[in-house]
Amino acid sequence: MDTVVNDFVQVLRRHQVMVSPAESLDALYALEQTGVGEREVVRDTLRTTLVKNSEDIETFDRLFDLYFSLRPTAEKRTAKLDVHDHDHDHGEPTSMEFGEEAEGEAPDSEEHSHEENENTEFRRHFDEGKMRPSENIHGETDKMRLSMFSQELLLNRKPGALDQALQRITHQLKLRRARGMFSPGDLVTHGDGGQELPLDVSAADFQGLVDHLHDLDVDESLIRQLEEQSEEILRGLPQLIEQMVERQKQLEKKQDDSALMRRSLRKIFDYSPAEQRETEAAIRRIARQIHGAKTRRLKQDRTGHISVPHTLRRNVRYEGIPFNPVLRRHHEKRPRVVMLCDVSMSTRNMSRFWLHMVYQMQSLFSKVRTFVFVADVAEVTQFFEESSMDRAVDQVFSGRVLDADVNSDFGKAAEQFRNEYLPSLNHRTTLVVLGDGRNNGKEPNVEALEDITHHVRQTIWITPEPKWGWILGSCDMPLYEPLCDRVEVVRSVDQLAGVAEELVKSRF
Amino acid sequence: MFESIEEVRERLAGQDYVCDRRLATVVYLAVKLDKPVLIEGPAGVGKTELAKSLAGAAGRSLIRLQCYEGLDEAKALYEWEYGKQLLYTQVLREKIGEVLGPTEGLREAAATLREQEDVFFSENFLVERPILQAITSETPPVLLLDEIDRADEEFEAFLLEFLSDYQVSIPEIGTVQAEHAPVVILTSNRTRELSEALKRRCLHLQLDYPSPEFELEIVRLKAPGIGEALANELVETIQDMRTLDLRKSPSIGETLDWARSLVVLGAPNLDKDLIEETLSVIIKYDRDAEKVLAHVGASPRRKDLGQRDPTGENPHEAMYEMHRSTHKHTH
Repeated sequence: MDTVVNDFVQVLRRHQVMVSPAESLDALYALEQTGVGEREVVRDTLRTTLVKNSEDIETFDRLFDLYFSLRPTAEKRTAKLDVHDHDHDHGEPTSMEFGEEAEGEAPDSEEHSHEENENTEFRRHFDEGKMRPSENIHGETDKMRLSMFSQELLLNRKPGALDQALQRITHQLKLRRARGMFSPGDLVTHGDGGQELPLDVSAADFQGLVDHLHDLDVDESLIRQLEEQSEEILRGLPQLIEQMVERQKQLEKKQDDSALMRRSLRKIFDYSPAEQRETEAAIRRIARQIHGAKTRRLKQDRTGHISVPHTLRRNVRYEGIPFNPVLRRHHEKRPRVVMLCDVSMSTRNMSRFWLHMVYQMQSLFSKVRTFVFVADVAEVTQFFEESSMDRAVDQVFSGRVLDADVNSDFGKAAEQFRNEYLPSLNHRTTLVVLGDGRNNGKEPNVEALEDITHHVRQTIWITPEPKWGWILGSCDMPLYEPLCDRVEVVRSVDQLAGVAEELVKSRF
Repeated sequence: MFESIEEVRERLAGQDYVCDRRLATVVYLAVKLDKPVLIEGPAGVGKTELAKSLAGAAGRSLIRLQCYEGLDEAKALYEWEYGKQLLYTQVLREKIGEVLGPTEGLREAAATLREQEDVFFSENFLVERPILQAITSETPPVLLLDEIDRADEEFEAFLLEFLSDYQVSIPEIGTVQAEHAPVVILTSNRTRELSEALKRRCLHLQLDYPSPEFELEIVRLKAPGIGEALANELVETIQDMRTLDLRKSPSIGETLDWARSLVVLGAPNLDKDLIEETLSVIIKYDRDAEKVLAHVGASPRRKDLGQRDPTGENPHEAMYEMHRSTHKHTH
């Protein structure tokens, strides 16, 4: 069973669902508790132990269905085997599994790694095949699919025994295949090439397998079961191989359909989970700098450390008996971040990243207010608080909050911001401006920004353009720069992480 | 505590908590594997209720810790009772004098005193807060850490030791380990993302609004006296409303409130007028109410629900809204 779970975890990881080793161990323990009798229970068990982000649940469900469903599909089995062999021979990147398994081994041991892989794969199909009759009888496909687990469990009681036996079958198959490899065209041209494969293994070899099992002193009933179902297995082998290939391919490539179905705008903002995690990490670090720094001053409080001088002083009236202790602790500065984000056409390609950053900021820290501007300013804090990332972004660009299609005019926006929101700034606020400072020839209105910066503790301007680009066109960054405490060029998550690093350094 | 997943379901149903197989599986695993459960989902889907029902079903006491910003270990884990310590030193002054009487020189007196000092750092002077309570309790309780996303990030770090090993390290005493692991349930409304470390230590359960069948069952169970036809219509309407783009979708709690109000009003079935009249029970925002009314076909009418959405036109209104909804900014 652990092979199956491990393999499944590998597949999940390949699809960017982070699963730690501890979690896959949990999954194994959990399956021991719930048993593997029912498909849905197994699904729930694996989901609760392996998937910790609700965004990943969809991926998990899809992969689970794919991974644990091998149904005989009679049609469409031409040339599939060829694809498989092709991948084998040339080590195409599509067959990642093989590549991974072979990792760390000498190149010439590729054959061996194939065998191993084939082996685990086959165990799965083998077990699968065993339950096929029950499907025919009861028509319960679900039961059949789950069989894999129960069979694994059954077999695991005699660890190694069946492994070895199956290894032999696999070996036989491999020999056949190896012969075929010398003329790669064969399998394509002869449609029945695949069938030739298992038939060859059948009678004698299977007897050999059974004998082998006897030798290994395996449970009698198990062998009988195997014998009974042997015919089924062998008959189904070509299909199984093919399904395996098919499934392998499906597992390897990511499904894009869901993304396509989304609205185009949302697609732009489609962040890969890895990117998301990186941004989150970088922002956590940045925010730790602007936020949460403890004040040096100690204040009296109901909790905290006892302060000897204060306690003594207060208890003079009790003849110095420290009857009424004074506790003090560091108080945290109330962090205040105001984000001012340019969503005009000129920065549209950056907006995706910025708004994502804004969203992360707000989801991680509660004291963030967000404004977007083009020529007008509008507060969008609530959108990001209440909606998902995608919906919030949709709302920003919907035209309801502001006209996003006019030319950006930071001067006007700053003016408006000064008039309306100045009272909400104070000496503890950090103002983060996300914009390129391109005013399209309009009044830069430096006074307004100056006024604003006087009201805040620090101003950080994040621009996508490197400094040498500022002199080109109508960019007012050179005017704004002296007013800001920091100007950072950030175009990507990497750079954002860099800024985080800088901020950390500058503190010590 | 539970022998099978089915049993979990039955026992929870015995507490009037209707749950599906998925939830029962997670609860069963949590009990069997001694792992905490992290439940995420929108407000009002029965996250907190689960902990209460579970405590009832297992016949255990429920210890609840409501998380909030600024919650620290002194409120959640343990605290030294300084006042009591000081009082004891004063009361025991003579005794201390006696103990130190026969000693010669300061050095010896200090050494003697040191031998006695653990008297003052014993469990006697420890105020147990919920988490330590859960650990030291004779019978393992159900510990509910409600709305963990409201607490600070640092607080999550405090929890890690407890969540993975069910122990708390107190520097002066040592490590307090739970003899029987408590059942720990954490809930989160996802107002912020929790740290990976915390998630890794928990089983994860995403709770969403229930399917119509489950909701119907819940309504029947929790709002007795409701007519079959009315219950059906009500659940259908609620499910329909959840498909709308509302600021706050009606939760199960609100469904039940609505069902109960309709029972009190003695309504035989649901019509547009009745929806309009009782909408304030389920819809808490003005703009949402308009949307819902437009959807069900009734004429939208301004209602005073005590809250207004900011239109964004008036800065004062926006400020008021910010202030009211979040209390974040002092001016």
